[in-house]
Amino acid sequence: MQGSQPLALALIVLAVIFAIAAVFFFTVKTTFLAGGAHPAIHWKHAIVFTVLAVLSLIAANFARPKAAVR
Amino acid sequence: MLSAGLILFLAALQGVTELFPVSSLGHAVVVPPLVGLNFRETDPAFVPVLTVLHLGTAGALLFLYRRDWARIVAGFFRAAVRGRIDDPDQRLAIMLVVGSVPAGIIGLLLQDPLKTLFGNPRLASLFLIVNGGILFAAEMFRRRDERRRAATEPAHAVLAHEDGDPQFARIEGLSLRTTVFVGIFQAGALLPGISRSGITMAAGLVAGLRHEEAARFSFLLATPIILAAGLLELPALGTDSPTALVAIGAAIVAGVVAYASARFLLRYLRSGRLDPFAYYCAALGAAGLVFIH
Repeated sequence: MQGSQPLALALIVLAVIFAIAAVFFFTVKTTFLAGGAHPAIHWKHAIVFTVLAVLSLIAANFARPKAAVR
Repeated sequence: MLSAGLILFLAALQGVTELFPVSSLGHAVVVPPLVGLNFRETDPAFVPVLTVLHLGTAGALLFLYRRDWARIVAGFFRAAVRGRIDDPDQRLAIMLVVGSVPAGIIGLLLQDPLKTLFGNPRLASLFLIVNGGILFAAEMFRRRDERRRAATEPAHAVLAHEDGDPQFARIEGLSLRTTVFVGIFQAGALLPGISRSGITMAAGLVAGLRHEEAARFSFLLATPIILAAGLLELPALGTDSPTALVAIGAAIVAGVVAYASARFLLRYLRSGRLDPFAYYCAALGAAGLVFIH
């Protein structure tokens, strides 16, 4: 598969956004994206966003152009 | 608080129905009121009990496919580090990740709103009928493919068994795009009455997998989701949770029954079809609509 530099960069940006979301859910009491009447730390969301950040980085590794194999 | 006997009954029910394409959640919601058990799905102990049972089922699936999982996990790390897919194990690992992510995200976002449906056995009965329709439709499409094949290639039509028939593929023959679609449809199993394994088996059949391979694909795809659902709910095991002894016993019962169910289903699907499960779901759903008020 031919790599794509822009796609790899986009996936890295996505990974950063997911990482920020993970930190947000780990540290801030909120009802955002989580429902419930009272703000709370949503560690479950935080773990999922952490996993998504890691997967985005792996996807970026797949998407980046590779040196030709001899 | 749920009684130990009821929890063990739910464990056996979960073990059978989680892997059969008949919706374990639908059964947990519909069967107790149908057989007159004094039990509310909105009981605070219900989700913790389901969590424990999920861990038992996930353990059974990991044990059943322990060699596959060892290769899949190793393949995933090799592929992730190199940034490319070099062999079938790595491809299968990436397919399972790609297929699990949509269901995981949708599940997380819709989990809380959908929990209100747990208290509605009549709605779950309706979804059971829909689940029967999905299974029946998948077999209908498969039969149409077989008839078309018989008309165009009579030489292959005499094969009584899917094994060795190149028309029907193994998991490795699926495209990543198909896997993403299957992953999205898998989220439908959040509705009580819609079966995760049913949806993934049906999608696998429509995509051209053999019946046994469709079940294997379904079980492999279900394992991370079931395991994650169990692990993520572990902190919910609070004061309403069953005692440790009952919880461990329930997990073991669910695991042993799930393992036996999976082995039975894999053997059955070497020559059988999903139609009996479709009729069963439709019948149970109809009974729920008629007898639960």
